[in-house]
Amino acid sequence: MRPENGLPAGAALKAAILGLAALLLLACGPMVPAVTQPPADRHAPFDYRARTAMVVAANPLAAEAGRDMLKQGGNAVDAAIAASFALNVAEPFASGLGGGGFMVIYLAKENRVTVIDFRERAPMASTKSMFIDNGQLNRTWRETHGLAVAVPGAPAGWDYALKKYGTRTLAQVSARAIELADKGYPVGPTLSSINKDEYERLLANAGESTVYLNNGLPYETGETFRNPELARTFRLLAAKGVAEFYRGPLARKIIEAVKSKGGIMTLEDLALYKPLEVEPLKGTYRNSTLYTIPPPSSGGLHAIELLNIMENWPVKTWGPNSPQYIHHFAEALRFVFADRERYLADPEFVKVPVSDIADKAYAGRVAARIKPGVVLGAYPFGPFEAKHGRQGNTSHLCVIDPEGNIVALTQSINFFFGSCISPQGTGFLLNDCMDDFSEDPNGLNAPGPRRRPLSSMAPLILFQKGRPVLALGSPGGTRIFSTLDQIILNVLEFGMSLDEAIEAPRFFSFSTAGKAEPVFCESRIPEDVRRTLEQMGHAISMKEAYDKYFGGAQGLLLLRGGKLILGGADSRRDGAGAGY
Amino acid sequence: MKTITLSFLSISLLLGAAGPGFAGSVEVQPPFEQPILLTSAGQSADVQLANVLLKKAGLTFSLAKLASAKDLGNSRTLVLVIGASLKGLGAAGLDMAKEKERVSALFTAAREKSLPVVCLHLGGADRRGEITDALIGEYLPMAKAVLIVKSGNKDGLFTKLCEDKKIPLFEVEKTIDAADALKKIFKPLS
Repeated sequence: MRPENGLPAGAALKAAILGLAALLLLACGPMVPAVTQPPADRHAPFDYRARTAMVVAANPLAAEAGRDMLKQGGNAVDAAIAASFALNVAEPFASGLGGGGFMVIYLAKENRVTVIDFRERAPMASTKSMFIDNGQLNRTWRETHGLAVAVPGAPAGWDYALKKYGTRTLAQVSARAIELADKGYPVGPTLSSINKDEYERLLANAGESTVYLNNGLPYETGETFRNPELARTFRLLAAKGVAEFYRGPLARKIIEAVKSKGGIMTLEDLALYKPLEVEPLKGTYRNSTLYTIPPPSSGGLHAIELLNIMENWPVKTWGPNSPQYIHHFAEALRFVFADRERYLADPEFVKVPVSDIADKAYAGRVAARIKPGVVLGAYPFGPFEAKHGRQGNTSHLCVIDPEGNIVALTQSINFFFGSCISPQGTGFLLNDCMDDFSEDPNGLNAPGPRRRPLSSMAPLILFQKGRPVLALGSPGGTRIFSTLDQIILNVLEFGMSLDEAIEAPRFFSFSTAGKAEPVFCESRIPEDVRRTLEQMGHAISMKEAYDKYFGGAQGLLLLRGGKLILGGADSRRDGAGAGY
Repeated sequence: MKTITLSFLSISLLLGAAGPGFAGSVEVQPPFEQPILLTSAGQSADVQLANVLLKKAGLTFSLAKLASAKDLGNSRTLVLVIGASLKGLGAAGLDMAKEKERVSALFTAAREKSLPVVCLHLGGADRRGEITDALIGEYLPMAKAVLIVKSGNKDGLFTKLCEDKKIPLFEVEKTIDAADALKKIFKPLS
């Protein structure tokens, strides 16, 4: 799909000019060296700056792997896959070979945006009631069991992107990650903390001898983490191709591991897996056009729907994280979640009313229902004609190369450390993405043969005047599109720098069965704001000051026609940028 | 108050070093007895870590993440692993208010049975945060001894609370060292 030119007319024009002015103001900041170092306080807003190219990722080692690939002449796709391999080593709890995801690619010379869907698929033997155990939902089966594992898409997706849009081989893009896995690196607080969180699940499935534990205990900050098994797996893929993963000895190890933990995946399931290239989903906010991913992720569609609703209100006047802003945003989210619950599933199997949900007039009707200062308490899903029939733990990276090609890539193994099942001697973890199917066997998003579980991922690229200005994405489960829209509004409406927008306090709410859930707030949202929200009728649920619950966003802001690149990387995890 | 001097160097008795009353530390028998009831305050996965460490230490214990008074049974010491996890609480179907209610009731029951409580904080600096700190502030002052991973005490919170209440505080450099420390503060089963 080709990005369009042109500014919106009429009343939106003023806001459009204000948005552009905010971006221009950012561009006029003090001149600094092309590569700068972040401050000692990891939470202090810091925009990485570069003139030519940049990678932002959830771990500095991955950002550097991507940047070095760019310096060696690779393009944005090569760098994104190099960073993905490195993330499997440096941030193994969030993504990797055993998972899947989505990437949005902007091809500068063609002025075209495309999407690669490498989301996992359910095994052929899946049934809608596969998680019902003696009449009860068995959560362990959905999360930490062989049944939790969906057919991974990452190796096929990375390989597809590389072959079609890259310029380097699997061996070249995996070289840095192999070195990193062999030599190891000092464990940071994020990995150590998550390793401790998931200790019980790791013991249960990966066992005391797993590389993901240090002599049977979680890694401490500062200890060296090595993964020679994963290095061997990468070497095998580099030498023989990803067919090894889907049809070769690795495939047999995967099936053996899944079946030993009660799973139903077969060699045929692996052999059948293919990534898809699809048209992006397009939406607008005032003078900006965004391109993101369509279902089976709900994230892109709901990011657009939410922005459409927010566009109806004087957001800038309310101010960032003001009571009115949070109130309206939270109420809008509750309507969005009613639609998500009612309509979203794998579009290969269910008709999803994408254009109805993304419609501006529909958003206007939702906005008109929402009352200032009062919680509605009831959130019906959109009245579209029925045609048929939850701690998010993912990773996002963005790349821009010297030619202006951009990749926004979000991928996951679902829960931190996925299912905690690691095929013998391979060093990678298998996902638990079957948990993304509905718990209700009769829900639209119930598991079924070869279905893709509903996701909330939403890598996106935002354009103004036909030029890319922002690439963005985040982990965070169902919080993803709320987080992304808060960041977009922080930049476009409130004039924040990109990392200021990323580090700003976050909140989230949703609805279940049409009823309001609390507003989840980072504790940095001031007490008087929280009190005012309570007076409006919101229940408040407190989170930590910088809470991974709300994701870990990475983004690139392109100023002066792309001549100045600002990178924002989230301190809620180990986000970092590397450019030149 | 008794002073416990442990024979290995990786553990330091901070109170002994800090308080004037500890200038002449004396060696005493380990004060705590087995069997142990091991439970969590805050439902973080650190209780699982303690489970492995107590096993490595060769101690006799039972683990009940959601222990109530009836689980005390014939236990001679209650070991409480402090660490809040919203995920863990959610999985247990609890919120912080209900968890505090459970832990407070357990403290009361332990006191009625004259059982000492040993508090552990095993996650170091990574496992400090507002919610965990609130639990530390609430339960630590009622402990008879506290064992922590040193990096969790960078701001001196544990030192201050233990000094205020004259509670022996044991620090270990690494989580794995806590196994030896636990072994030394519990009497062997006769």
